[in-house]
Amino acid sequence: MITLSNLTKTVKSGIEELTILNDVSLAIPEGQFVSLTGASGSGKSTLLGLMAGLDAPSSGRITIDGDEVTAMNEDGLARLRSEKIGFVFQSFHLIPSLTAFENVLIPMEIIGAANAKSRTAELLEEIGLSDRGHHYPNELSGGEQQRVAIARAFANKPKILLADEPTGNLDTKNGQHIFELMEALHHQRNITLVLVTHDPALAAKAQRQVVLRDGMVISDEVNR
Amino acid sequence: MRFILNLTAREIRSSWKRLLFFFLCIALGVGSVVALRSLIQNLTRAVGTDARALMTADIEVSSTSDFAPADIAKIEDVVNTSGIIDGRNEAITTASMARPVDPENPNTRFVELKGVEPPFPLVGSFELDGGLAFDHKLLENDGAVVARILLEDLNVKIGDRIKIGEGEFTIRGSFDQEPGGSSGFRLGARVFIERKAFDEAGITRNSGRVRRRILYRTTDNPTELVSELRNALKGTTIQVQSYRETQENIGEQFTRTENYLALTGLLILVLGGVGVWNVARAFVEQKRKTVAVLKCLGAGGMKIISVYLLQILTLGFVGSLFGVVLAQLGLLFVRSRFAAELPENMSYAVGVSTAAQGVILGVLISMIFSALPLLQVRNIKPRLLLRDENNVSLRRLDPIKWILGGLSISGLLGLAVWQAGSIRVGLLFLGGLAATSAVLYIAAIILTLVLRRLRSIGPFAISQAINSLHRPGNQTRIILLAVGLGAFVVLTVQSLQANLLREFDFSSNQRLPSLFFVDIQKSQIDPLAAMIATRVDEEPETTPTVRARIAFINGQPIDFQQREVRQQQGQIGREFAVTYREKLDDNESVIAGGWWTSTDGVPEVSVEQEMADRLKILPGDSITFDISGRKISARVANIRKLDLRNTRTAFVFVFRPGTLESAPQSFATTVLTRISATDRQRLQRDVLAAYPNVQIFDVADIVATVQRLVNNFVLAISFVGSFVILSGILILIGSVALTKSQRIYENAVLKTLGAKRTTLAAILFAEYGILGLLSGIIGSGFAVLLSWAVSRFAMNISWEFDPLLTLVGVAATAGIVMIVGATASFDVLFRKPLQTLRSQ
Repeated sequence: MITLSNLTKTVKSGIEELTILNDVSLAIPEGQFVSLTGASGSGKSTLLGLMAGLDAPSSGRITIDGDEVTAMNEDGLARLRSEKIGFVFQSFHLIPSLTAFENVLIPMEIIGAANAKSRTAELLEEIGLSDRGHHYPNELSGGEQQRVAIARAFANKPKILLADEPTGNLDTKNGQHIFELMEALHHQRNITLVLVTHDPALAAKAQRQVVLRDGMVISDEVNR
Repeated sequence: MRFILNLTAREIRSSWKRLLFFFLCIALGVGSVVALRSLIQNLTRAVGTDARALMTADIEVSSTSDFAPADIAKIEDVVNTSGIIDGRNEAITTASMARPVDPENPNTRFVELKGVEPPFPLVGSFELDGGLAFDHKLLENDGAVVARILLEDLNVKIGDRIKIGEGEFTIRGSFDQEPGGSSGFRLGARVFIERKAFDEAGITRNSGRVRRRILYRTTDNPTELVSELRNALKGTTIQVQSYRETQENIGEQFTRTENYLALTGLLILVLGGVGVWNVARAFVEQKRKTVAVLKCLGAGGMKIISVYLLQILTLGFVGSLFGVVLAQLGLLFVRSRFAAELPENMSYAVGVSTAAQGVILGVLISMIFSALPLLQVRNIKPRLLLRDENNVSLRRLDPIKWILGGLSISGLLGLAVWQAGSIRVGLLFLGGLAATSAVLYIAAIILTLVLRRLRSIGPFAISQAINSLHRPGNQTRIILLAVGLGAFVVLTVQSLQANLLREFDFSSNQRLPSLFFVDIQKSQIDPLAAMIATRVDEEPETTPTVRARIAFINGQPIDFQQREVRQQQGQIGREFAVTYREKLDDNESVIAGGWWTSTDGVPEVSVEQEMADRLKILPGDSITFDISGRKISARVANIRKLDLRNTRTAFVFVFRPGTLESAPQSFATTVLTRISATDRQRLQRDVLAAYPNVQIFDVADIVATVQRLVNNFVLAISFVGSFVILSGILILIGSVALTKSQRIYENAVLKTLGAKRTTLAAILFAEYGILGLLSGIIGSGFAVLLSWAVSRFAMNISWEFDPLLTLVGVAATAGIVMIVGATASFDVLFRKPLQTLRSQ
């Protein structure tokens, strides 16, 4: 269960203070698939980043399974991410110096997981890239890179997957493929999936659709 | 831990090319330290381990005057009761003139004559040319064994006869290396004759430059016997030395030289460290996103720092090993270039412990200089992946930064102290380096500020280049500092060389004689002066000289039992040529006291400044001289400074007229006129034929020897200086890498705006050309200042500004920086702009 209470985030832009999120409160139950939509600059990605502890809010509280994320230090946040959260970015953010196999392996090595290599092989098999494991990111297509990023996000069997416009840098066909992959993994593993997207069609497929404007929640509906 | 090791291995696999300069910076620094240290250690081993062979005995008792029968009795008494003496001989040495007996052969040469008696040598062996062992029979009946070089100089061969003093000798053998012969600078070639032939040839009759030695070989440790001999000879000027002490002295000198050279190596390594610092900064900058991803995946800051630290230490280690290989190659180069001037038995291998020391130094320097840049990893936030912002700068009051900075400086100080072998020298090294860097850095700031004001004056390429020097994150000042420092070292040495060589150039010193005659008898003055006058058309000035020794200072004998005093015994205990005159010479000035001002009739003496310092005396003190057995006390009237640039004679002690006139004296005279080598040879030969007791110094020969020494010294320092420049270039290349991404972006924008590749190339060349020009100006400007200061205050020689050297120095620095910088950045010109702009 993710709870966000009265979250506000302001940043300095030159001499002005810019409010990115303004008193946002949400509760996302375990296993729910939520889409976050809104225009550019509405605060979607910032909200997602705050949930993952990638940034700290200016005020407000975030808890995940009762643990207060906003009270954790850097190392605590790192532990939380490695144990509970998988993250997928629009621009993939694979480590360029590592092969696809090693990129998937890394999160498991960080926590010292057993059978990391065999699990990496399984994950690559699952995303259909078992024969591309020895390739470096720059040798893979955008769709392939995003699939590797998804496999990496699932490496430590997280309970939450946060995806920031994962199809934004892909063509329609590849985008559809990635969405289906995430949706399937969500169903198979019963994980909480929070998806930031610009695509209304994808957003409509989520169980719940939250719309942001100017840093505020203007709509929060459960899809039928 | 597995994560750290695995990721380190993967990172090295992918990033080693980017860290190549890091590797080279360390390799070059470690290579310099190891090569310089090994060189001097090997030299010590070759020379120092054989101090016994150098002395050709275990104990040496020596004096510059005849041993008094009472002293000999004391020596024999102590020696006989010790029961450890196994062999004894006597030797006598002096400088003299040698010339062929053949009247057709006009050559003359200054030689260092040694009279020996069997068994010689007491210790060690003496091999003559052709593999023959030295046999004393070769010297019997006026035989001589000479250094090979003398055969060439005099144009004679084995079997020919040469004349030394009044004696004639047949050359019966030649040699390259003599026992006890590697003690450094020597003016003339060595000639061995029988000891008793010395007196027969009349060589000892007048000369005060004779040293007599009694040598002993012992069957046991000679230390106790030496101390007993010293006790017995207290109050005399006789020196007693054991080979162990000689070894100790040589050892100390070599250790000091080794530590100073190691500091020079450390300077190069510290410059390498600056390169490491730059590369580490560039590396962290390039790895920002990777660090953010790792943090996003749950890796803690310390874990990531550990990965990169381990990576840097691994590369530092491998770089250091490569440095050891470079050092070995350097030593092989030294062998190929300088083997003839170094001891034959010298090894050219890097020692294991020196190599290990170099590797430890390299790894520590890698760690010290990469610690602060790596600390920035802590401040890279994973939110960077969502919103790019420059969040890597350290907070001003970050306590960990300051603690780490303090630790780094302490570490560096520790290394300097370790390498110098002294806390004081280590502190001075680091302080000196900091002060020099600060001065160069301030000069760099001022120059770049001035340049910025001028940017609107030049064409587009120049103004863009000047703007580039001020781009955010620019490395302008650090490059100016590093390359400027290299240029500074090399140009200072070059400028000093030019001034030193000018100092020994005949044409610039009209008072430096071309020939110097000493030991002239009173009856010989007029005919000799007449002979000189007819040959060179010059009325020579003659100066009376009296042989004197210091007996007491303020009524007290000099205590040669003290080690410090004993070390100066050569300078204090020797026989001096003193003179007397009414007036100060042109090249002299009084710096304390007055010139013959008293009226009380007490004998007065003027003392040269350096000797006064050595004897710790002031005007008003008293010095008692021993002149041919007579004690004469004189009051020190003044301390005198000699201007050696304008010297004709240089007397340490000058008496007021009225005291020495009745003492046994000889005369000295000079020829100032510049005459050809043939005329000089002919004059020397004729003078010696008529007056064999006279000694002649051909100053041109001495100057040539000194010039050769200066040239070798300059070559050695320039070699080290070129390593400093090389370090500067590596820093430059590292800095190019640091700002490359910005340059790529700027070029993409300029291309989009319509700039042609030739325009971008012009900007590139202009940027590095200006950078090189500024480095050259800083380096040569400070080189001019330092060479002036060293010439004026340390070497006491005249200094002249050499505009050509300065111009060439500035142009060469500018050229090197322009070529290296532009070459390292050239690929940037060929990048497609769209790809670059999209990725931003």
